[in-house]
Amino acid sequence: MAYIELNVLNNSASQLALGIDLGTTNSLAAVWRDGRPTVLRPEGKSALIPSVIHFPRDGAPIVGREARDHAVVDPKHTVFSIKRFMGRGLKDVAQELASLPYSATETERGLIQLEIHGKKYTPEELSALILMKVHDVACKALGGLETTNVVITVPAYFDDTQRQATRDAARLAGLDVLRIINEPTAASLAYGLDQRDKGNVVVFDLGGGTFDVTVLSIEDSVFRVLSTAGDTHLGGDDFDQKLASLARADVAAKHGPGIVDDPGFQQAVRMAAEHTKIALTTDPDADFHVHVPELRLNWRRRVTRAEFDALTRDLVERAMDACRRALSDAKLDPKTIDEVVLVGGSSRIPAVRARVAEFFGKTPHTELNPEEVVALGAAVQAHILIGGKRDMLLMDVTPLSLGLETMGGAVSKIIQRNSTIPCEATEGFTTYADNQTGIDFHIVQGERELAVDCRSLGRFKLTGIPPMPAGMARVSVKFHINADGVLTVGAREQSTGATARVEIQPMHGLTDAEVETMLLKSYEHAQEDFDARRVADLRTEIGIMVHATEKNMNAARAGLDKESVLDLEDAMAAAKAAAKAADVKQLQKARDEFERATMPLAALLMNNVASKALRGKSLGEV
Amino acid sequence: MTVCPHCAAELESPAGCPHCKVPLEVPEDASLFDLLGLEHRFAVDVKDLRKRVLKVSRDIHPDFFGTSAPGVRELAEKNSARVNKAFEILSDDAERADWIVRDLGGPDEQEERAMPREFLMEVLDWNEILEEARSRTEALDPRLEPLASELSERRGQAIASIGALLTPMPPRGSPNLVRVRQELNSIRYVDRALAEIEALRLARASVR
Repeated sequence: MAYIELNVLNNSASQLALGIDLGTTNSLAAVWRDGRPTVLRPEGKSALIPSVIHFPRDGAPIVGREARDHAVVDPKHTVFSIKRFMGRGLKDVAQELASLPYSATETERGLIQLEIHGKKYTPEELSALILMKVHDVACKALGGLETTNVVITVPAYFDDTQRQATRDAARLAGLDVLRIINEPTAASLAYGLDQRDKGNVVVFDLGGGTFDVTVLSIEDSVFRVLSTAGDTHLGGDDFDQKLASLARADVAAKHGPGIVDDPGFQQAVRMAAEHTKIALTTDPDADFHVHVPELRLNWRRRVTRAEFDALTRDLVERAMDACRRALSDAKLDPKTIDEVVLVGGSSRIPAVRARVAEFFGKTPHTELNPEEVVALGAAVQAHILIGGKRDMLLMDVTPLSLGLETMGGAVSKIIQRNSTIPCEATEGFTTYADNQTGIDFHIVQGERELAVDCRSLGRFKLTGIPPMPAGMARVSVKFHINADGVLTVGAREQSTGATARVEIQPMHGLTDAEVETMLLKSYEHAQEDFDARRVADLRTEIGIMVHATEKNMNAARAGLDKESVLDLEDAMAAAKAAAKAADVKQLQKARDEFERATMPLAALLMNNVASKALRGKSLGEV
Repeated sequence: MTVCPHCAAELESPAGCPHCKVPLEVPEDASLFDLLGLEHRFAVDVKDLRKRVLKVSRDIHPDFFGTSAPGVRELAEKNSARVNKAFEILSDDAERADWIVRDLGGPDEQEERAMPREFLMEVLDWNEILEEARSRTEALDPRLEPLASELSERRGQAIASIGALLTPMPPRGSPNLVRVRQELNSIRYVDRALAEIEALRLARASVR
């Protein structure tokens, strides 16, 4: 056994941090290496890991490509597009849930749970499984180097709850989140646009499930986000659905309406539609083929690109509406935009590219793989955050306004959308009744006028105000959004200097206690999973050893005495029997015993090899 | 000009040192102008202001202090938030004037809310046009663009007269501050109407 020298100082794991794109459809990781960001891919394979989880009846969940293959055969136990449920309540995603083959419930605080094999999983737990897989693949691609430091990207339009859910998922996966950053902003970092002196950039990010558009200005190597807008329910899935509805209508007409509700059919249509959509990216027309042997269904039809464009025109225009809003917020005209960057697999759709080029009057950047560019940018930011790079800076904004519910149920805005973060704001409040010692606050996020139409981030009660006549107390409440986009609130009564206690009860989110419980649970499972793998590894190892012994024994039989042969045969039989055990310790013992029993054979073989190698050499040469 | 307590270099902004590349403690009562090392006056060169903010941000942004001691990280957070707020206010003529009026003890929008009668009559006229424009669902009302130009021109005039009232900087309690507040109130009406026009433009620009 050779010793491999590892330079701990130069390869220090703390100097590494991964950029992870946790996508609706696919996820992947990248790292800063040799002066530039690099996507981490398993040798000879695509870096994209489908964000799909399959739950076999027995054993650990399967994540990625293999899980996706189960989607048609076993749709009830295969989960995809989990990102759409992050930080959401049942009523937010009723439409998506209607087309899913598994049941969903809600916890007391409005957290969605999906039920698979009778077990309930939150979107955070499911996303954690994907993150673990991505992390695992990344560390293997790094040649076994370990790091738990990560930057994870989210759509720019994610609200505080959705960001918090992403953070919780990473905690459950055992990762240390350096930063949650916005996908389009990450993409602009990947393109190395800081090389240009000054300019305005638009990032158009049409992914699997969400659409984001971000306007940035680059000046003196600082990327300053001017505005961001988007649609959390617009993505490649919607383009697939348009095609799928074509098939559904026709199949229902021909084979009766019952068949279109079958989960197997729904999955098959979804995948066939995606396939056709991708083919139409390069071809003027393509086959749309839905084959479900279990239902004896074999449906096909040609689709032309013109037909597809007509079906999806409305979706493209929804994206353009968001572009107009973003430009309006940035107080810019399409003509003043110097560069346009396309991100997300769905930006490959020819009609999307053509419309973007027409709208901005310039050919958009497509040099980098649109599915890898976000992870690459996250790796750049990760490198900055671990102190590896100081020559550029990213100044991001908060995507949604932050406000407080007022007496009449209206919203009083405290921090406007598109404010550069970190940012802070202080608001004054007073009491409306004599001797009032507490005030209730309801924090909301969104642009609507009424609190009920905005997303509720939490409520807090300010207590400890000294008793005074109504309107006398001067309470100042300070809101701070840090560079991570996380909100903190502090309050102070000014006339007495008393600081008030602030507790925020998160809505649609995990409490710290829940995260703790889930973490403990995952550690238990981790031990189970680890044991299961060790059992499999030991069994394989014993199998290989027995096989090798058999082969070698036959070759070296001449040099072995009868008793040794019998001993070896006994040991092999014992090892074969012991390999059936399911206990790690028993297997370990069997393996060690077998190794001891084969020692004489190994020694003999070594002598043979040595004498062969030394044959014909004089002592001096040895 | 303040100097860095670590290296004694002269500082453009007291929020951070470009040589030591660290955030520095700034007194709580430092004004927005002080924070960015600017003279106290209404006229601001926005391009110079932006360059200053970008420069100091490259020294103090929390991204560069992820692995630093918690105290340094907190100071980076706090100073960056203050600098960003200062930029937001100082880079906008109306917000800057509002801040100056408050800073000099002038009236806020609740204390000084009387508007000239003829101005309010004009507001009623705009509102009528906006009301009708909202009810037209197909094309953009042809009267909106001329109205937008008129409102922008008005806004420019209001800002110019604010500039005259605040140059040189009036003393605390000056009657000029009341007049600035009145101009700011008229700008609020104008801005609300302009925002409404922009919303209508966006809605009608959609080809859906």
